[in-house]
Amino acid sequence: MRRGEAEGICPLVVTVERDYSAEMIAFEPVVAAIEDLIPNVEVVEPGLVFVPVGGAVGYYGGEGPLVERVVKEIDRVAGTGFRIGLAEGPFAAKHASAAAMGDPPVYLVEDDEAFLASLDIATAGREELVATFRWLGITTLGELARFPRSTVASRFGTAGLNAHRLASGRDRALNPRDLPVDLIVSERFSPPLEDLEQAAFVARSMAGRLIETLASFGAAPFRIVVEAEAADGTVRSRTWLSADPLDDRAIADRVRWQLRAWIDGVGAGIRGGLVALRIEPAHLSGTGRQLALGEDARAASETHRAFAETQAIVGRDELLQAHPQGGREPGERVAWHRWGEEPVTRRDLEAPWPGRVPGPSPTLVPPEPQPFHIEWDGGMPTRVRLGSRWVTVRSWAGPWRRVGRWWRGEETGDQYQIVTSAGAFLCEVRGGQTWLTGIYD
Amino acid sequence: MSYELRAMSYEQDRAPGAVSGTDWGLETGDWRLDLPSLAPGQVGVLAGEAGLGMTRLGLVMLSSHARAGSVAYLDVRGWLSPVAAWEVGIEPERLVIARCRDVVRWGKAVAALLDGAAAVLAEVPAGAKDASIRKLAALARNRGTTLLLRPLDGTVPAGIAHLTLEAREISWSGAGDGHGRIDRRTTLLTASGKTMRGMTRTIEMEDDGSNAVRVVSGVAAAETKSVAG
Repeated sequence: MRRGEAEGICPLVVTVERDYSAEMIAFEPVVAAIEDLIPNVEVVEPGLVFVPVGGAVGYYGGEGPLVERVVKEIDRVAGTGFRIGLAEGPFAAKHASAAAMGDPPVYLVEDDEAFLASLDIATAGREELVATFRWLGITTLGELARFPRSTVASRFGTAGLNAHRLASGRDRALNPRDLPVDLIVSERFSPPLEDLEQAAFVARSMAGRLIETLASFGAAPFRIVVEAEAADGTVRSRTWLSADPLDDRAIADRVRWQLRAWIDGVGAGIRGGLVALRIEPAHLSGTGRQLALGEDARAASETHRAFAETQAIVGRDELLQAHPQGGREPGERVAWHRWGEEPVTRRDLEAPWPGRVPGPSPTLVPPEPQPFHIEWDGGMPTRVRLGSRWVTVRSWAGPWRRVGRWWRGEETGDQYQIVTSAGAFLCEVRGGQTWLTGIYD
Repeated sequence: MSYELRAMSYEQDRAPGAVSGTDWGLETGDWRLDLPSLAPGQVGVLAGEAGLGMTRLGLVMLSSHARAGSVAYLDVRGWLSPVAAWEVGIEPERLVIARCRDVVRWGKAVAALLDGAAAVLAEVPAGAKDASIRKLAALARNRGTTLLLRPLDGTVPAGIAHLTLEAREISWSGAGDGHGRIDRRTTLLTASGKTMRGMTRTIEMEDDGSNAVRVVSGVAAAETKSVAG
């Protein structure tokens, strides 16, 4: 559901941004508990892990006893609320865990193909592809799997082929390649890094280097191993897996989440600071990211590095980008986000927004309205105080009544455009006080 | 939003041998009829009080570099509205805004931005040292990055700028006594520096903001110019 829809239904709803780092802190004990029983745990995202259990089934004497041990361990560290699916492939296992019910909630899939055949086509891929499948009358994965592979490929291309492969119970075919170079990127720190932000900054640069090297071979990783060495000699590592090739930003995010989980989560932390960080790529795809025509990968990489350095100087919250969104006030029309993060727009840009301040837009908009001194004569502005001097008003427009969100206690106000010899200003009279809301600089 | 050079009314401080004002004409297709621009590695200074239109002019100049790559705005006040940047044709993905009030970190931040951005427009905080600004100008030349400085209080050291634009006067049309709305601005400014071939010229510019979401590139806007005076 979109935020606008949610607010329409419940105006008092509070939207909270998803915090992957915090989720990973909560999830880390679960991953560690599973890893104590079975090696090679691969984290997909906070809340979802894939565990290859081929060897462990034999060691623990069958799937039943293995699941029993895992359930007991997870229950010990995290309590209830988990679900487990066991299948031949990760795709089937993921959907089996979603379908798991009972106590404990475990779903053992006997035949992946038969299990997947009953699943809704929505599990096959992107929304628009699924909509086309539905339009053609294909409603389950089983129906899709019955079509010849070549027919699906000729009609839907790579996306269709991927969906067909999943529907047929064959997960993404990994295409490991032997590359003639050591692709591991690592850094040692002396003195040890004690600040997560510093470590995350280095991780971003390392991820950029890794992707740049891989790009020269036309490859991209589906899996990375993050390894951190603490000053006390403790080495911790975690494997992250992704359904799509990881780019530098995705790698940097995962390293950051993992470091924070190790530092802030339950456990020993990284004692004495971080002395070494290592990122190892694995499961390389045959094709890296396709550059746009005329795109200079080296220049883009330099730009990225320069902005990352700027971010380290000014602070994470002070290097920003913005995207347009709907709104009435100049400040409301901007959706800010930190550089390097995905933009999140909260208000519909296409909505009419009646009563919005007309263009041209003020170039300078204070984050909070500033007190503004205007001399009035019979309801008409005559002089404006700028610093220590008074400037005569040449012309003015308004007032335009602005009705605030009364259910949030916002006051109504009257907006004016005031033109003086020193420039034009957007201001608002509210509660007997005048506020500066923009300068047309 | 479009900027057009409407008139070049007269010149001041003519350098020996410089062309006279009457030599300027549309028929010559002279570069001087366009909005003064800066090549990569050159430094520009935008002087004038807040309200005289220099921030928007700086954004217009930044927009011509945004076609080559990301551009950066160093926002000391923390007041820049990106809407104005989008209106002059800078794509949201191409604009990065760094906020920094601290004078010491300000120099480091501009230096870091010069390493990666196609052009940087930096507000200069009060108290920024001349030596630091000179170093940044040298770095911009070395990196081939256009640097626009917008001093908030005081001046920048002499001799570093290839182009100095200083706002003198501004007038707005569209608003009356409680009716209409502001829609067109005329700014009178002086242009001087190495790129002006030793002369100080007075330039009158208009920008039309009748459609807040219309985006016109600097090149397209320059084609609408006319000359008088």
